[in-house]
Amino acid sequence: MRVRLPSIQSATGTAVIAVTAAFVLYPVFYLLQASLDTGDPEARPPTAYGLDNFAALPRYWEIMLNTLLVAFGATVMALVFGFLTAWILNRTNVPFRRTLEQAMAIPYYVTPLLGALAWSLLGAPESGFVNQIWRAIGGQDAILDIISPLGIAWVMALFEGSVAFVMIGAVMQSMDPSLEEASQISGANRFYTMLKITLPLVTPGVLGAAIFVFAEMLGSFSAALVLGTPVRFYVITTAIYQLTAQYPPRIPLAAALGVSLFAVMFLMLFFYRRIISRRSYVTVSGKAFRPRLTDVGALRWVLFGICAVYVLLSVVLPVLTLVYASIQHLAVAFPAAANFTLDNYRAALSQNAVRFAMSNSLILGVATATIGVALTGMLSWLIHRSRIPGRGLLEYTVMFPQAVPRLVFAFGMMWAWLVFPIPIYGTLWLLLIAYLTVFLPLGVRTISSVLLQLDKSLEECGEVCGATWAYRMRTITMPLLRPGLLAAWMLLFIASVRELGASILLTGPHSQVLTPAIVSAWFGSSSELTAAMALIQTVVLGLAVALFTLITRRAARQGG
Amino acid sequence: MPKQNPEPRSRRFALKAGLAAAASLPFTRRSSAQDRPVTKVLDFTTSADIAKAEQEGALLFYTHDGEAGAAAAIDAFKQDFPKINAAYVRAQTGALYSKILAERSAGRYDVDVIQFSDTGTAIDFDKRGAFDTYISPETAAYDPQYLSNPPGRYFCSGMTFAGIAYNTDKVKPEDAPKSWKDLLDPKWTNVTSTKQSTSGMQFVEWYELRKLYGNDYWKTFAKLRPHGFDSRAQLFDRLAKGDDRMCALAEWAGYVLYKERKAPIAFVAPADGLPATALATGIVTKAPHPEAARLFIDWLTSLRGQAVYQNTPDLLYGSVRKDAPPMPGGVRLRDFKLLVPTDMDDFLASRKTFNTDWNSMLGLL
Repeated sequence: MRVRLPSIQSATGTAVIAVTAAFVLYPVFYLLQASLDTGDPEARPPTAYGLDNFAALPRYWEIMLNTLLVAFGATVMALVFGFLTAWILNRTNVPFRRTLEQAMAIPYYVTPLLGALAWSLLGAPESGFVNQIWRAIGGQDAILDIISPLGIAWVMALFEGSVAFVMIGAVMQSMDPSLEEASQISGANRFYTMLKITLPLVTPGVLGAAIFVFAEMLGSFSAALVLGTPVRFYVITTAIYQLTAQYPPRIPLAAALGVSLFAVMFLMLFFYRRIISRRSYVTVSGKAFRPRLTDVGALRWVLFGICAVYVLLSVVLPVLTLVYASIQHLAVAFPAAANFTLDNYRAALSQNAVRFAMSNSLILGVATATIGVALTGMLSWLIHRSRIPGRGLLEYTVMFPQAVPRLVFAFGMMWAWLVFPIPIYGTLWLLLIAYLTVFLPLGVRTISSVLLQLDKSLEECGEVCGATWAYRMRTITMPLLRPGLLAAWMLLFIASVRELGASILLTGPHSQVLTPAIVSAWFGSSSELTAAMALIQTVVLGLAVALFTLITRRAARQGG
Repeated sequence: MPKQNPEPRSRRFALKAGLAAAASLPFTRRSSAQDRPVTKVLDFTTSADIAKAEQEGALLFYTHDGEAGAAAAIDAFKQDFPKINAAYVRAQTGALYSKILAERSAGRYDVDVIQFSDTGTAIDFDKRGAFDTYISPETAAYDPQYLSNPPGRYFCSGMTFAGIAYNTDKVKPEDAPKSWKDLLDPKWTNVTSTKQSTSGMQFVEWYELRKLYGNDYWKTFAKLRPHGFDSRAQLFDRLAKGDDRMCALAEWAGYVLYKERKAPIAFVAPADGLPATALATGIVTKAPHPEAARLFIDWLTSLRGQAVYQNTPDLLYGSVRKDAPPMPGGVRLRDFKLLVPTDMDDFLASRKTFNTDWNSMLGLL
């Protein structure tokens, strides 16, 4: 059935599209302009145009290949971890489910630099704690070498890929278990059911997560910086970083490198749209269901073991390593009384960046998540539920910021908002706009995955009964979308607080945020101080997320 | 319109210009004094109107320094002048340079004072007509080669220099290199670290050692497959923990910091000299708080500001003031034989070659 756009809907839709276009296409224009700039790279607007920057790209084929290989490896690992753990925690009666669920989300609170740093401290061939202990007990050379392409993919999958768990988990929470039960009643075993029923039903969620995670990996910076540079292994982001940080900066070439990733991203989005358009993934229809967990018997302890190992590798071991490193003058595996100190925490807490930037980060996190959920919720609805012309184009537009590493996209945003007549440059408002822009894909992917599971007929029933569009949204769509909306809020909040790429260039003197300060400590001070600062950020973020979880659970209980 | 400066910037020229400036100093000071009386505040002299500076009430400093270093400098200034709400924005030199030029081309003039990590960037910035002219009375304590040509555009707010460092747990002192050429021994293959092309200090080392030993020096060095990093903290972190045994660009400041933390490292100052680079700081044109900017420059050029730069752990820049006290560790800058580029035209012209060669050597291209 064709959904007509009444006036309020039309007005809201038009406003959302206009805002999205302004947020995304305005900086993209400047980015494209820079990639075609062949004149004085520091002159604005460009003094000459040409394709020289793109012609130079084949020289970087090795770096591009490195990027694709690492991103692909990390995405596969992240999806396997994400799907398996999301299935275990959302669909089975695994013990300590809630505790594991909380622990599984921790890697996502952590600044990716922290994960890379922790694993570098653990697994560097010479100084890694694991290797030091190995040699102390008589082993030869190194038992673990994290300073390698595989190490980069591993760390990226653990810390940046943990978003896959949240995205796929949100889809699984909205799934009617009767389909799985029907399969089992028909004689299929649990794993056959998981593969043949659960997996196909969560395909949009998994594909959405795959696209998002792959793009995230293409733009990943910290793991490649910490674990790749020592072995002369570069990816696009580390190459771009060098090109923009050196003097004279080669921003047009960096822009061309970034823009070239559009092609990869849009190809993936094209296949995603093809797959989801072929069949229906509706699991939430007019028929009532209560999410039930599958009793897996004694196997639940094996599944618990899988989750526990994941939590050990992604949370416990890295966090303990960093705590241990942060209380030493010089981080080494074997304790020595003279080496212990609290100076790193003292130094971290005495920095203005930690004291004041944290509050800016939290304010921006709440604002980005709240406005972002409303904006991306509307966008998801427009893309998947409305019949507005060009809605496919809208989905491609939304993915632009994800396709380009933020280190480069930030230049587009800087040029764009510098010349904007309303003076927001250098203020928190600019960071808010920047965060809303770069996290549009995250919000849309998360909410869309859940929206695709909702049967359109639910809204249509409301319409037939005479409910207005706003009333239907409030009483039918929004409550059904609740898991997706909450997941999106949480993801946007966390992603904003730990954002780095855009913040480095766009912070003003009175709008500083924390993550750039942490990275600056890594570059300028020591890994021990960096560990202390990043742990402080993680604890504050963890407390904020716990508070949010508490409030939403209480609200859910009160709401019945 | 960018101002073009057709004058060659050789050291001899700089010296001549500096001497000429020094000879005309009484006039400069008098003319400066006519327009701007020199007064004393705290323990330094200034030509800034302090009442006006406090009325302006703000100052924005753009710097390449790390967060902690930038904050320390600004906090120290604010402590001395609490009525001026000083703030900073930091980014690496390349990004900082692009940012300020983009802002200026869009007609935004928020910045008062800017500091670059090397003189080359400052010369380029000056050619674009972006530095204002202000001759601080405190610059009388500086040799002319540490001031811009013509003077007043920027000054050397600190000096960094580098030698060789090694891990004493992994390398015996008798095996350690004594000269720059000893670094080329194949035994240092895969265990030597250096900086990326983003570093102005690395550019100076490349330029000076190539001048001393010829281009083959770096071709042989490339065979060691060195590891490249962005900051001195990373270099010393790896050296201290034994991930690298040898550091080919060991900044003295980094060495002092890590030595204090009891890292097993030693510093070697080769007899041929230590490559050194000067920070360049100046007031930008159309600064929104010009008097506060002048006061900041006077403060920074003075012994008071230089003490902050020289002694703060996250800065540790050697002062080039003639009357500068010893650096932490008890040594003075003049105790070392420093290798500073003298022919600035040749130096700046070779940047492109350096970027290409260095990126290629580190496997980036």
